[in-house]
Amino acid sequence: MYAALSLHTAQHVPEPSTDWSARTRERDLIVAAQHGDRDAFAELVTLHQRRAYAVARAITATHEDAEDAVQEGFLHAYRALDRFRPEQAFGAWLHRIVANAALDIGRRRRVRDADTLSDSVALPFRDPAEQDELRRRLAAGLEELSQRQRSVIVLHDVEGFTHGEIGSMLGIPEGTARSDLHHARAALRRTLGDLWSQR
Amino acid sequence: MSIEPRIGPHGRDDDLTRALRSLYAPPADDAYWASLAGRIMARLGGDAAVEQWWQPLARFARIGLVAAAVALVAARIALSRNAARETAIAYDGVIETPSSAPLQLAKDAAPGSARDATLRYVISP
Repeated sequence: MYAALSLHTAQHVPEPSTDWSARTRERDLIVAAQHGDRDAFAELVTLHQRRAYAVARAITATHEDAEDAVQEGFLHAYRALDRFRPEQAFGAWLHRIVANAALDIGRRRRVRDADTLSDSVALPFRDPAEQDELRRRLAAGLEELSQRQRSVIVLHDVEGFTHGEIGSMLGIPEGTARSDLHHARAALRRTLGDLWSQR
Repeated sequence: MSIEPRIGPHGRDDDLTRALRSLYAPPADDAYWASLAGRIMARLGGDAAVEQWWQPLARFARIGLVAAAVALVAARIALSRNAARETAIAYDGVIETPSSAPLQLAKDAAPGSARDATLRYVISP
């Protein structure tokens, strides 16, 4: 089962390059965008959208909501660009905005779909692997977690964010992120326990 | 049936992490990302168009706000003047009352005096 799974395994989304020239280039783009250069902002979108999507996807229940959160996030970032200081880390600033948009979409959806219980973990795309037992069990296990625990484990274990970064994005103390991660891992291990023992 | 996770260097359970990455894999197609970036920029374009459409109205709105503020100040001045005039009238009324009251009393007292005179005349020997 794990051999089959590894075919579908994706590497976590890499951060945009952090070397000196790339950061200088990014700062130039930010300054240009702050002066109304839309092409510069388009380049920032291209540079950061994958990572922004990863943040949003960790928080939202579906791929579609993650997409909406990314769009909302970039829109908010563009409107607030004049308040961004170029010496800050653009990625961290953007991720906070996107996370906020994702949390907001999640809240709105929970209110809207209160009767239909939409807080399920939908898979990004409907593909044949969706029927895979491990994926099914994992999705069920994730559904048992609170939204925050789910976001924390995905942001940490899948995307590689630190507890501090996660705390900042989700508006929770670092210690809470750490404890959520511990509980989420334990719960998922329990859910997948018998599959683990079969290997 | 023991759970023996393979723990990675950062405390991650490698198998669990692999499974999660599979579940949360972002779309791999470059065309998808080009399309998403296009949609984001289109929304920004729409936002800017609304902004441009609003610009002339925003100028009118500023003028309107100033006019409303001026009207408010004028109305307040007019109201305070009106209130002052009403107060003055009220004071005048209070002040003028004593001069008219005796006249009224004198007028009221006149029939009484006539009756008394008549009575005095009738009962007088």
